[in-house]
Amino acid sequence: MEVTLLLEATENAFRIMEKARVHALGVLDTAVQFTGEQTRFLEEKRWELLFAGAQRRKTRFQNFVGTTLILFAFWILLSGQFDAFHLTLGAVCCTVAAYLFHDLLFANVRVGDMRVIAARFIAYIPWLIQQIVLSNLHVASVVLRPKMPIDPQIVTFKTKLETDISSVTLANSITLTPGTITMDIKDGVYYVHALDQKVADDLNAGEMEDRVAHIFMEADHLYVQDVLDAARIYDVLRA
Amino acid sequence: MIRDSQDVIVKTLARLLMPFIIVYALYVVMHGHHSPGGGFQGGVILAAGFVLLGISYGLGETRKRMSEKVAGVISSIGVFIYAGIGALCLILGGNYLDYGKLSKVLRVTPAQARSLGILGVEIGVALAVMAVMFTIFFVIFTVGESLEDDRSGK
Repeated sequence: MEVTLLLEATENAFRIMEKARVHALGVLDTAVQFTGEQTRFLEEKRWELLFAGAQRRKTRFQNFVGTTLILFAFWILLSGQFDAFHLTLGAVCCTVAAYLFHDLLFANVRVGDMRVIAARFIAYIPWLIQQIVLSNLHVASVVLRPKMPIDPQIVTFKTKLETDISSVTLANSITLTPGTITMDIKDGVYYVHALDQKVADDLNAGEMEDRVAHIFMEADHLYVQDVLDAARIYDVLRA
Repeated sequence: MIRDSQDVIVKTLARLLMPFIIVYALYVVMHGHHSPGGGFQGGVILAAGFVLLGISYGLGETRKRMSEKVAGVISSIGVFIYAGIGALCLILGGNYLDYGKLSKVLRVTPAQARSLGILGVEIGVALAVMAVMFTIFFVIFTVGESLEDDRSGK
């Protein structure tokens, strides 16, 4: 009787020990898995950091080279002397200046957009000159009339431009156009002084803003150019 | 104390113009011996660039690029270059700032040595003028700051 009891007790004890072992193994397994994940996560993070660092260094180097080239072109424009001594001086000066200020010229510019932006900006200039001439004539006709029908007012409008460079391009375009002066930009709201109602209406039509947004590729709706392109396609389809 | 300007136009244009101002100043310095300009003018334009950075981005951002301590060192280096070239001429047996005597060291004709000597002197003058102008600007615009620190310290 006692013997069977004892046997049962030992059996129970063994069963419990077995259970405990399985349990412990499970815990260990989880721990190993967890540490494995942890190390993998850390490894990934390390690679990511390395990659980001390399990317940043690459961007910085590109900015440095770009700034140096632009500054060297500016130096040659200023200097106008092409002997080796002055060119070397220029190269040294431009490298020093670019090393000190490589982060200023291309801040907030997405990499890869530069060429498109430059091309569109150059295409924008003739339109701007045309606008300047037109509004010059308008302002001249207004102020030369004996009654001088001016109606000074301050126009405010919220811009959809996002980057600082596009806001500044629009502000300076507005100021360059006679009859309107950008007084301030605060939190994306322009405060523009306009000479009379027609100028203010032109401003509120927002064509200039659309074109500036088009230059800097901040497209969120159809632009004039796109509509023109689409019209051509429709003509082809209709024919 | 000048803080970060809120005006996006001023900030962006200062950012874009800054490298060109520096290169223009260096051009004025480097071409000073055969066209208008020279060390003083170039140095003042250099300092004006830093002042533009200071009034648009605040003094903190400017300190990252050039601190008062660095400006002090640069001004000393500028004066050292100027005085050193003068003294070198003296050692080589000429008068003070008699650049023709530098031809022995530089292994060029005396005329070229004069040209190079005045270029070196102008670089020294430009560095000294830039650093001193920058220091004056900083001292004037940080007067209130130290007072504020004193008051908050009490």
